Amino acid sequence: MASPSTVPATPLLKDELDIVIPTIRNLDFLEMWRPFFEPYHLIIVQDGDPSKTIKVPEGFDYELYNRNDINRILGPKASCISFKDSACRCFGYMVSKKKYIFTIDDDCFVAKDPSGKEINALEQHIKNLLSPSTPNFFNTLYDPYREGADFVRGYPFSLREGVATAVSHGLWLNIPDYDAPTQLVKPRERNTRYVDAVLSIPKGTLFPMCGMNLAFNRELIGPAMYFGLMGDGQPVGRYDDMWAGWCMKVICDHMGWGVKTGLPYIWHSKASNPFVNLKKEYNGIFWQEELIPFFQSAVLPKECTTVQKCYLELAKQVKAKLSKVDSYFDKLADAMVTWIEAWDELNSTGKKPSGNAK
Amino acid sequence: MAQLLSPPLKDDLDIVIPTIRNLDFLEMWRPFFQPYHLIIVQDGDPTKKIRVPEGFDYELYNRNDVNRVLGPKANCISFKDSACRCFGFLVSKKKYIFTIDDDCFVAKDPSGKEINALAQHIENLLAPSTPFFFNTLYDPFREGADFVRGYPFSLREGVPTAISHGLWLNIPDYDAPTQLVKPRERNTRYVDAVMAIPKGTLFPMCGMNLAFDRELIGPAMYFGLMGDGQPIGRYDDMWAGWCAKVICDHLKLGVKTGLPYIWHSKASNPFVNLKKEYKGIYWQEDIIPFFQNVVLPKECTTVQKCYIELSKQVKEKLGPLDPYFQKLGDAMLTWIEAWEDINSPAKTAPSQANGAKKDESSTKQK
Repeated sequence: MASPSTVPATPLLKDELDIVIPTIRNLDFLEMWRPFFEPYHLIIVQDGDPSKTIKVPEGFDYELYNRNDINRILGPKASCISFKDSACRCFGYMVSKKKYIFTIDDDCFVAKDPSGKEINALEQHIKNLLSPSTPNFFNTLYDPYREGADFVRGYPFSLREGVATAVSHGLWLNIPDYDAPTQLVKPRERNTRYVDAVLSIPKGTLFPMCGMNLAFNRELIGPAMYFGLMGDGQPVGRYDDMWAGWCMKVICDHMGWGVKTGLPYIWHSKASNPFVNLKKEYNGIFWQEELIPFFQSAVLPKECTTVQKCYLELAKQVKAKLSKVDSYFDKLADAMVTWIEAWDELNSTGKKPSGNAK
Repeated sequence: MAQLLSPPLKDDLDIVIPTIRNLDFLEMWRPFFQPYHLIIVQDGDPTKKIRVPEGFDYELYNRNDVNRVLGPKANCISFKDSACRCFGFLVSKKKYIFTIDDDCFVAKDPSGKEINALAQHIENLLAPSTPFFFNTLYDPFREGADFVRGYPFSLREGVPTAISHGLWLNIPDYDAPTQLVKPRERNTRYVDAVMAIPKGTLFPMCGMNLAFDRELIGPAMYFGLMGDGQPIGRYDDMWAGWCAKVICDHLKLGVKTGLPYIWHSKASNPFVNLKKEYKGIYWQEDIIPFFQNVVLPKECTTVQKCYIELSKQVKEKLGPLDPYFQKLGDAMLTWIEAWEDINSPAKTAPSQANGAKKDESSTKQK
């Protein structure tokens, strides 16, 4: 077995990765993450009252955008970015110039593994993103590229090269990411189970993507990571990351890319108010029952050869098939198109937005 | 305290063990296995005496018994390969089967506690599966876990679990090329999870540490033609797994993988393995797309109907690959015929065979 000294170190990627943090409160949590995050550039998306000053701890290199900045940069297209909801984080994805994004919530702290060691979540996400995925056949020993593991007997050899990894979905110890009904029924439940695995979510299978502890290859899948219309003035909340995850997975399956879930864990400290959550999720609980079959049967034509084309096609299908569920989906489909237009504008060579950089 | 409770499902579950060597490993499992009935399938030389440790309730079948019980249909049961274990599935009268290899021992969890693999399999089989949507906290029915935000509520009832696929610490189940390249690798990673393998996804099913609901999926658990006189080996459990998964997907049954772990002690010879696997390495490349594209018509409403349909498609689509698949397709049919024969209500149980065996010292109860 390889000794520790022969295991290659995970590259820092400090000039290729941005950390996107939506916040409405404060960024105190960054102190605990300092040893792991300080080398990286941060993109802070300040939600809520733009006149409030969010203090960024000393020593971090960052750009910060409040609602005024978003409106200034996107003009009329700013309507696609949610307000009063952490969905606004996707503005950070759009304005980033880096290849990779890691996004984390401001109530997520450093967790410890069973040996008591502090987990560098960012490093694990990078490992996940830099190694291939295996969505076309399930490996019973989970990620075959991890040290000490491999493909098992019976795994077809032609599938052992794997495919590019687009998304790395991390998990949470302590307060689990439950929906409002579950939170109401089981307010005391804590996730204490450390599952030492990373695995590819198989092709054709959807999952609930949580935005709390998430990383992705922006160059591959960025345009699909739109977090929808939530929060202020919208009929639903807490379905932003879900929506992005379903769109993203359908597109990754179509493009032949992988989505991993599992490690790393962060420590989720704050249990959101279940009564507030129920109000936000209420419509979603019912709509979800239509959304899932929609995504499960979405077919993208082979002419959709880029993520943008896939996403625009998806927006068409959302409008065609989900408007009858609620007129919200009509608006959402339009917002999806606006998002792509804004993405292409901002990410065509030449344009560089200016935020409140340090 | 737990010992006061009756062992779960002790009258509803058989433990099927194929062996060609000996059953010494059972000593270590005694605290967990002793309440259960064992079906020993003795491979290889039928004149050899396999000693079953004292105190176990068992029936034992050697090749002569297999031939006697099945007559001409015995040709579907492999010889000189652990694939013969499926004969034990056939003759069992129980609702559940747990099968384990004779080089698999009790493992310890990270806290140092000995793992009752059978109890975990039973938990897995008795709790529903969730193959239609991936739960990121894995098995939502486990204590301390649940469905996560975004998991559709209408899918939270789950579906019945047909198969529970356990894993192995120490010697991992690698194919010959991997064993040749990485002879020193050991699986030391205890992954504390059980999860449903999503619908539409195939996996490599290992027969070393496996349990299933025989009433739900038994007829699909045929381990194919391997070993003596066959061009291939070490694809028995794989074949059964691909057939079973396709059928489970069609019938909306779940397949779980993950816990429990056993401790796999014996590394098989990679040179021998390469000879056995050689053809399979190439054939697999056609077999996998075959299974990935199989469509079972909606008229296939029972496992047997599904399996017979599958055997037709095997002959039609894999026959051109090698005549072996024609033979295999036929053997699949023979298996179903034998299954129906032995498991139809009118038929007297092969306990008659065991009755006859009572006169010989090699078989029987405590």
